[in-house]
Amino acid sequence: MKRISWKRFAARMLPWLLLVMALWLVYSQVQRPAALVGVGVQWARIGALAVVMTAIILTGGIDLSVGSMLSLCSVVMGVAWQAGIPGECAAVLAVGAGFLAGAVNGTLIVLGLSPLVATLATMAFYSGLAMMISGAERITKFPATRLDFSRIGGWPSEYWILALVFAVGTVVIHFTRFGRWCYAIGDNKIAAHFAAVPVHRTQWSLYAASGLIAGLLAVVYTMHKGAIPNAHRGVELEVITCVVVGGTLITGGRGSIPLTMLGLAVISNLDIGLNFLSARVSFFTAEARLMVIGALLILVSVGNEWLAREDTRKVEE
Amino acid sequence: MRDVCLRVNCLIRVQSTKLTAVSGENYGAIEKPTDCGMNSVNRSPVLELDKVTRTFPGVVALSEVSFDLLPGEVHALVGENGAGKSTLINLVSGVLHPDGGFIRLNGQRVGITDPVAARKKGIITVHQEADFFPTLSVAENMALLHGLPTNRWSLVDWRSIYVAAQRSMDAMREAIDIEAPASRLRVAQRHMAQIASADLENAKVVILDEPTSALTTVEAEWLFEQIACLKQNGSGIIYISHRQEDIFAIADRITVLRDGHRIWTRSRNEVTSESMIEAMVGRELEKVRRRGVAVGNRENSHPRLKISNLNDRRKRFSNINLEVHAGEILGIYGLIGAGRTELAHTVFGIRKVSSGTIEVDGKPRRVRKPQDALLAGIAYLPEDRLQQGICRGLSVRANAVLTTLAQLTLHPQKESEKEPPKTKRSSRFNLSRLLQKNFLGMFANRKAEQKAAGQVASQLQVRHRSLEQPISQLSGGNQQKIVIGRWLLADPKVLILDEPTRGVDVGAKAEIHRILRSITERGCAVVMISSELPEVLNYSDRILVMRNGQIAASFSGEDTSAAEVATAALPTDGCTSPRVVKEIDRSAIQRWFTERTTTVKNLQLPRGEIGLLVMVLILGIWLGLTSDGFFHPANIAQLLADTALWVILGLAATTVIITGGIDISVGSLLALSAAGAGLVLKLPLSPTVTIPLAIFVALSVGISGGLINGAISLIGRVHPIVVTLGMMIIYRGVVIGLLRGHQISYLPQAFGNLVVHPESGFRGSIVFGGLVAVGMHVVFVHTRMGRHFFALGASPTAARTVGISKPKTWLWAFGLSGLLVGLAGLMELSASMNMQSQLAKGWELQAIAVAVIGGVSIIGGRGNVLGVVLSALLLRLVNSALVRWQIQGDQVDVVVGGMILAAVLFDLAWRRRER
Repeated sequence: MKRISWKRFAARMLPWLLLVMALWLVYSQVQRPAALVGVGVQWARIGALAVVMTAIILTGGIDLSVGSMLSLCSVVMGVAWQAGIPGECAAVLAVGAGFLAGAVNGTLIVLGLSPLVATLATMAFYSGLAMMISGAERITKFPATRLDFSRIGGWPSEYWILALVFAVGTVVIHFTRFGRWCYAIGDNKIAAHFAAVPVHRTQWSLYAASGLIAGLLAVVYTMHKGAIPNAHRGVELEVITCVVVGGTLITGGRGSIPLTMLGLAVISNLDIGLNFLSARVSFFTAEARLMVIGALLILVSVGNEWLAREDTRKVEE
Repeated sequence: MRDVCLRVNCLIRVQSTKLTAVSGENYGAIEKPTDCGMNSVNRSPVLELDKVTRTFPGVVALSEVSFDLLPGEVHALVGENGAGKSTLINLVSGVLHPDGGFIRLNGQRVGITDPVAARKKGIITVHQEADFFPTLSVAENMALLHGLPTNRWSLVDWRSIYVAAQRSMDAMREAIDIEAPASRLRVAQRHMAQIASADLENAKVVILDEPTSALTTVEAEWLFEQIACLKQNGSGIIYISHRQEDIFAIADRITVLRDGHRIWTRSRNEVTSESMIEAMVGRELEKVRRRGVAVGNRENSHPRLKISNLNDRRKRFSNINLEVHAGEILGIYGLIGAGRTELAHTVFGIRKVSSGTIEVDGKPRRVRKPQDALLAGIAYLPEDRLQQGICRGLSVRANAVLTTLAQLTLHPQKESEKEPPKTKRSSRFNLSRLLQKNFLGMFANRKAEQKAAGQVASQLQVRHRSLEQPISQLSGGNQQKIVIGRWLLADPKVLILDEPTRGVDVGAKAEIHRILRSITERGCAVVMISSELPEVLNYSDRILVMRNGQIAASFSGEDTSAAEVATAALPTDGCTSPRVVKEIDRSAIQRWFTERTTTVKNLQLPRGEIGLLVMVLILGIWLGLTSDGFFHPANIAQLLADTALWVILGLAATTVIITGGIDISVGSLLALSAAGAGLVLKLPLSPTVTIPLAIFVALSVGISGGLINGAISLIGRVHPIVVTLGMMIIYRGVVIGLLRGHQISYLPQAFGNLVVHPESGFRGSIVFGGLVAVGMHVVFVHTRMGRHFFALGASPTAARTVGISKPKTWLWAFGLSGLLVGLAGLMELSASMNMQSQLAKGWELQAIAVAVIGGVSIIGGRGNVLGVVLSALLLRLVNSALVRWQIQGDQVDVVVGGMILAAVLFDLAWRRRER
């Protein structure tokens, strides 16, 4: 019978505890639950990106360019739409642009660049490109279109995208060959290559998927709010925060999609709750919120890192 | 001719069990003059371990082990993996400390605190995985083993480093460019450099951990010469090896360890191979002897694998022809570097083939990637288990089924479906079948995986607790069996094994040989690449010998003798005879050294910096020609002042990246220190008080911020990218809190005058930038701590074995980086005289960009100040060029991003070409 040490138990329970606290905070502060739907939209967007980011980080990579890809696609759609192309076609263009941007990332990484450097470069490149295309102006006035993607069934489409991406992501990562490959690549890329795992194809498709989903989200965002070139700056860091709080190792090989959703729930509820709280208690202003989330990120990641070490430690019999 | 004979003799002596008796005599004859004087019985031991115990959580690695080493003796330490050999040598070399018992050196009790102290006491260790710093020069690698020498200004004494390295190379008679990065060295050369760099005259104890496992026979001969020298000097040698031949050839006494206990210590004459193995494994081993070649109907069937006229693109081997039949084990013997592994990699699709054909069962195959090899039925067991074989963190199950996932889906791939017949199209479109195949075929089937993994584990007798335990918890031999089993599941037609028993203990070794035999009985053809002659001789049906990328000889039948095979593997032409090479090199090194001492060091520009410089010049000249005011002093001053800020930020990022970390809190920390300084300046006090105070506050905020980043990642053992991401958010929060939504402006004019002199327009920040650049160059190149940054970034494990303290180095790097950020914060504040809460948002990534464009390797260990300075200058020039084209603000990012990509791709392409 294996003895479960209380430390291990505590490290595992930490995010759940935080989630309960955050939920309680939201519950105690919110007066009109309907308001949550609007507030949550940006978190749904972050969540959808976090699912793909989890898969990318699982393979030992990182994608810093998601925010820039959102901006780029949004601007592509805005400019195209404004230029008289029907909204639907503009949407297709935007998604295509996202896929292309992701594919460029993937190609660079397959060529052998470090993911950190490659996506750092494309992050600057894409956001600069978005600025250039849009002339650094926000584009908001569009001709009417028949289809409106911003809401489906009364809910903002971001939620639907999140649900879809989460479902597909969970199945792909945890129940398919592709998912098994991701874990192997993240653990030891060379060994995976020697075991006839299609390393390059797997990596490439993940980065391309990241661009594709950024494109989808950009379409919805643009339909809703217009193309704002610098609105998505820093999104990548929030996305990574959710992934890390969910317990995915930043060095790869360990993590899971449902746990990323846990991370998302913790961070989003905490942020929303503290936001509401700041209206009443002057102490919880924006800066306190930032500091709480930063501290949490470090705390949880220390716990997760410790757990990972504990689990793979050599047991000598 | 006599020379060749002698060498062959040595070879056989080393490699063959059969000839041990003869070899012992030979060796004795060589040793006689040194031995007879020393052989008095009452020599006092140079090293004594008195009932030493060391426990790790949950396991006793060494339990009351006593061990002694006489001067001038070779004491072999043998035991299976995990018997406690490594623990013992780690205790002696200062990597670990004993929990109980004493260590005596020359009869005196000593506490060996760390590896450097051990070296100073005359204990020299050559580790099995010769840890080294790939990006540092060979000379520096050798110097780091003793700790870098310093001159009277406590700067690193490069001259003496090169002199010492030259002397060692001289003694070693090896043609190694001591200035070249150590990554160019082969494993064997690394071992030899380690041994050669030891101050052999003062060596009391020399520990050799598996020294011959990577050496070619000629190199091993050199090593034995060195050992003979050491014995003559009166040093004691602890010799650890899995190769019995070596042990019986050179050991005077043998100690057997098992499960952390000493079994016995005996002199070599009293030990037989059988008794030693029995003591090691504690049980009798079944012997698998070579089977007579029993390949039946060879003529009327195709060979399983047939290679014709295969050539390597990089000429590592050429014109290879070979055939392997079903049920046959083909042994490929050769020295390391003979092209054996390259050949295997090519057949397996990892290396590119230039010309030639590979046929499996008579069908020609194009193998361009391992997936093709899998389809063709070719399997390959890589030589480096840890790097190329296992995924350490994954479970036994995941490792075992990794290759054959396609067969273990919800819709298992059938043998017939592996290759869809191209000519015969299914006449009827069958949706449900298509769906099943393509959709269900994607899903993994955990039950099937478990069943398959369980099958592997039971068939190959893998000792494990559960299929779901991480594979890193298994012993090396069992890990190896899982990797073999992974390929057996794929049911290969041809199995190529590269050093299947390297680093595997005796028991597992025999089991692996037995497994190989049983594989052939299934009709599989086995190719076994090995540098262990007995293994090749005893377990293969036919032997090919490779030499210099060609098949030199082929042996079949049982009458093959060790001498024949070994001779065939040796290079034949006179030029490569080691002695001749050594003579030539010696004079070359001498010549090189005399040239070297007359030229000034560190002045030649690496190619990256030349590229940057050219780009800076072109852009500068172009800007000067096309715009009127560009060369106006004020414009130049502004440009340089901007550059200075980015030089400092770039160097802050560089310091951390070189050490192997990364810091993305630079922007927030800069804002924080600027905010601190700004608030102090707004205090209602006289500027003569507030200005020094503000400077102090900004710098100390910077340092403490950096230290906090470093300390958290150190204590929590979390990757710095996560820590600094968190701290970036926190620092920004503090800034917002301090400013409370206001701006800090109307700072005292005297503060601004520090950077811009009001009358002359002189820019102080240029001076600061220049000073920082020079200062950081001195730190990086001429201080011990600076070199330790590089060492830690290049290889943390190697840093540990040479006794570089990670916490100290790490904190210094982060602290220094923080200091630079604080300075940059002050400069920014005084230049803009204004501070708001979003200051420097996103600058962290730009700082990293400056470093990366300047040639700093993101994985650490490589970079220099000049590159960073040039890259900062280039970025500012690009900025002003874009301003001229009326492209401003964030649009500049396009160019920055493009430049990072260009820089990194250029670097990558260059490296590929160099390789």
